[in-house]
Parts: sequence; C-alpha cells; structure tokens
Amino acid sequence: MKNCIACGMPMKNASDFAMCDESKDYCVYCARPDGTMQSFDEKKESLTNFIIKTQGLAAEAAESAALSMMRKLPAWENCFD
Amino acid sequence: MAEKRQLQKAQTKERITAAALKVYSENGFSTPTIAIANEAQVSHGSIFVHFPTVDDLLICSLESFSDEIKKELHSLSDPGNDIASLLEMHIGVLIKHEDFYKRLIKEAVYLPEEARNAFIAIQSTVSIHFLHALEKDMNEERIKDVPFHMIFNTWMGLVHYYLLNSDLFAPRGSVLAQYKDSLIECFLTLIKNEKEVKK
Ligand SMILES: [Zn+2]
Repeated sequence: MKNCIACGMPMKNASDFAMCDESKDYCVYCARPDGTMQSFDEKKESLTNFIIKTQGLAAEAAESAALSMMRKLPAWENCFD
Repeated sequence: MAEKRQLQKAQTKERITAAALKVYSENGFSTPTIAIANEAQVSHGSIFVHFPTVDDLLICSLESFSDEIKKELHSLSDPGNDIASLLEMHIGVLIKHEDFYKRLIKEAVYLPEEARNAFIAIQSTVSIHFLHALEKDMNEERIKDVPFHMIFNTWMGLVHYYLLNSDLFAPRGSVLAQYKDSLIECFLTLIKNEKEVKK
C-alpha cells in the first residue's frame, strides 16, 4: 500500500488518491483543485487547520505538530535543514 | 561487509528502542539510560552511539510507538465503519498498549515538544477515522449539534480519565477491558440526538 508523500496518509482505495489516479504519490487531501500537489506553505496551513478543527488545539501547538509530521515526509525533505 | 555492519547497527538501534519502550512503560520517561542499556543488553556507551542525546532516544522511541499505533488503526479501519465499531477498535488498540499509553498520557506535559508532537500525531490519526465515521451521522443530524473537536475531546477525556485513575476503577487488570462497553455506550448516548436514543 502507498502512503501519501505529503501527509503520510495510507492510500487504500482509488478515491484516496489525487484525482482518483492511483499512479499519483499524493492523496486527495494534498491536491489542489487542478490536481497538482499543494506547496509546503499550503500543506502546513491545511494540516494546522485540520488539527485545530478536529482536536481543538491552540494555533501555535497545532502548527508545531503539523511541522513535526511534515518533517518526516518525503515530499518536504528539502524544506527543513 | 559494510552492508552487514549497517544491518547490525540498525538491529542494535531497534533493540535499544524496544528496550526503552519497555523501561519507560514500567518506570517512566525519566528513567536513567543505564537501565535501558541493561534491558537491551548493550553497553551504556553504545546507546549514545545511536542516540546522541537522551531526548533523541526518547523522541525516537515515541515516534516508533506512534507509528505502530497509527499502523494498527489504519489497518483495522474501514471507510464503512460506523462510530460504535470505530470506538471499539480504538479501545482495542489502546488495550494492546495500555501500560505504555497510560505512562504517555500521565507524563506527556513534561515531555519535550517534539515528543509531545508524536502524541498529537496519534490523535490526528484517531481523529481522521473518527471524522469519517461520524461525518454521515453529523450531516443527517443523528448527532447533537456540537463542534466536532468537542465530540472528539469528550471521548478522549472519558478514556483518559479512566486510564489515569485506573488504580481506582480497576485495581487489577485492564481498566479499558473492564469498562469498554459502558464507556462506549455512555458516549454514544451522550452524542446522539434525542430521537436516535429512543430508537
Ligand atoms: Zn496527503
């Protein structure tokens, strides 16, 4: 099973992939409306907002957690030193 | 030869991480590294070859724990899961790792930020499955009109309260195994709309 390179989510079904295209390496949540992958800043913002929405954390704590998760993902390897 | 050495190095690192998880679970996250070295049957110095600082070892162990829990949650979950079976699965995974998880929530506030984030990563995975299981019920108004994060935190609060006070609720054995059914039933009754409860 593939994991999304941008958020780590396991992609089980075609509907999990960007544009339902199983050859893509990123998931439906990491794609822009035109199907391209979100940028580092876009992903950081959407992940932070997701944590706030689902767990209710303060923005600062949510952003720190989002960055920790992204640090381990192949798509953002070059965005951290 | 170089490959063999690499493999050995990875195996030792894994052994130290596994030993750390066991020792932390029994004695807490501030246990001296010498106890971890003894458990892993490696020299004390060997730990610092693999983990330059104590925090590195702590963070790496927590991340491996977090990855394991996330993997189990993902493999057990199904897009068609309803909320009751999701709660059951969540408790099932926690029971498997109950001692370590209890230690984690007890000491989480004292952990370095990076280690705490490994805990939030677990919660993110749980919350994604939670959201998928509840979305339909929320749209069709079978669930009370409360923000999603409050529903999620209510469940976590309930589960963590029983875990943190397990000596009072279940002096022997697993508190989650003993209270699983009543926790799930109570939570579902709380979040369901009146007319759904009557059904
Ligand atoms: Zn993704």
